[in-house]
Amino acid sequence: MHAPISLAKVDVDASHRYGPLLVHDGLKFSVAANEFICICGPSGCGKTTLLDMLAGILVPSSGHVLIDGTQANPKEHSISFVFQEPSTFPWLTVSENVATGLNIKGAPADQVRSKVANIIDIVGLKGFEDYYPHQISGGMKQRVAIARAFATEADLILMDEPFVSLDQPTREHMQREVLDIWRHMKRTVIFVTHNLEEAVYLADRVIILSAKPARIVAELPISLQHPRDPLSVEFTEIRSKCVQWLHAAH
Amino acid sequence: MAATTKEDAGRSNMPVAVGAGIRIVAWNILSLVIALGIWQLASRAVGSPFFPAPMQIVDAFIQLATRGDTTGHSLWEHSWASIERVLVGFGLGVVFAVPLGLLMGLYPKLYAGTRAVIEPFRFIPPIAWIPLAIIFFSGLTRFAFLIFLGAFFPIFTSTLVGVARVEPIHRKVGIVHGAGKLWILRKVVIPTVMPDIMAGMRVGLGTAWLTIVAAELAGGISTGLGRMMTNYAELLMVPHVIVGMLLIGLIGFLMNEVLLLIERRLFRWRWQVSL
Ligand SMILES: Nc1ncnc2c1ncn2[C@@H]1O[C@H](COP(=O)(O)OP(=O)(O)OP(=O)(O)O)[C@@H](O)[C@H]1O
Ligand SMILES: [Mg+2]
Repeated sequence: MHAPISLAKVDVDASHRYGPLLVHDGLKFSVAANEFICICGPSGCGKTTLLDMLAGILVPSSGHVLIDGTQANPKEHSISFVFQEPSTFPWLTVSENVATGLNIKGAPADQVRSKVANIIDIVGLKGFEDYYPHQISGGMKQRVAIARAFATEADLILMDEPFVSLDQPTREHMQREVLDIWRHMKRTVIFVTHNLEEAVYLADRVIILSAKPARIVAELPISLQHPRDPLSVEFTEIRSKCVQWLHAAH
Repeated sequence: MAATTKEDAGRSNMPVAVGAGIRIVAWNILSLVIALGIWQLASRAVGSPFFPAPMQIVDAFIQLATRGDTTGHSLWEHSWASIERVLVGFGLGVVFAVPLGLLMGLYPKLYAGTRAVIEPFRFIPPIAWIPLAIIFFSGLTRFAFLIFLGAFFPIFTSTLVGVARVEPIHRKVGIVHGAGKLWILRKVVIPTVMPDIMAGMRVGLGTAWLTIVAAELAGGISTGLGRMMTNYAELLMVPHVIVGMLLIGLIGFLMNEVLLLIERRLFRWRWQVSL
């Protein structure tokens, strides 16, 4: 019998302020292991700040952010993060960029090579392995960052509007891949997006935040089977409910 | 995914195509010939022994190269003496300036707290140290010290400025994957600062040459291109002085080319800016 290794159950109960600016006011929610959460909320309400806390990059000014019962810490927990801003290293090639996380974790070279090749194929960057970031497009750079985050097969995957710079077909392809990875590898995913259709398409549960100071205004569980049909009645119903809540949040 | 086209794959991995390279060499030879022609004409028009023609410089060069100078030192001895001093002093400059620049860049409080000690030194030209250096040091040490002073500050300052260019997001990438301080220093800070370090080195090399010639002119030693030039200036032998000048220019130029070559290797990832 194998003990379950990848858990990544998340508990948040935190307030955060940047100097005089109160960003989160008693933000409280839990994420079950292997759950897929989408977070939506008005721009500037503190979604990136929340992900930074979940990644252990930022400590909340009061309260706690726990992963499997201990304070979130990137040295102890296996976390990956697709950032909202461009984050590739310009001095590394595509494949070197993708290998970054694996190299930090000290993975053996042959394993790094095969994992990198595999994930580069998935995100559709085959043939561009030796290109430098300035030689590829913005959307391709974002896919490099996505590949880098997925290559480590982290227990907790944080994604901050990862697909905004992609065209519709590529975006749909990436959404399917994320769902695939999530389903097969049993990860916990916390995904920030402004696109409610995307949220309803992906999530087990959509959390809608209010404007600053952010609180949770609604949590909408979605139990539709994958693959979901955005044109189905149930889908559109949930989506319009989300839209209403988001308007209420402003 | 679309396959890459040939042009795509070659784009900016090869900075200059071979054909263009030959054309650049040809242009440089042409401008050199024109410059020499103007010089020749000007010298003929003036007709003074103190304004030698290019051929007289060549004669002086051959004489210095084959028979040495009036004091029995060969041209190579003089050149090597200067080069050795520059390399030692410049090397020391790099070895001290880069780590110190990184340290103070990463811990700005350290810099803020010691500025009053460091910064005034920056404004004392290395040449102003020559009298003290003559009293305190002799031989190679004296020159290495002066050149160190000349090379240190450009490298130190540009390293310091470069650290501020580190992108917080790049640091975050490391931290999220569990990287420690050393990893961030090696894989984020140094690659970011490297272009500034190299730029500082090129400026520092310029200052180093400036300093060596001044220091050698000041006397007290028997070798070095600056020394050789002073000797011949006292004899009013202009072509020999000019040989020294040209050699200084040429050696400095070649050293700079070596640095540029290293830069091109190191910074293949950078796009070429052109207006
Ligand atoms: N390092 C910081 N120092 C001070 N204030 C900050 C800092 N980072 C973010 N803020 C502030 O915190 C608030 C929330 O920022 P955050 O980036 O988390 O918003 P967001 O929800 O991700 O917005 P968007 O949807 O536009 O990405 C903003 O008002 C921002 O100005
Ligand atoms: Mg954000």
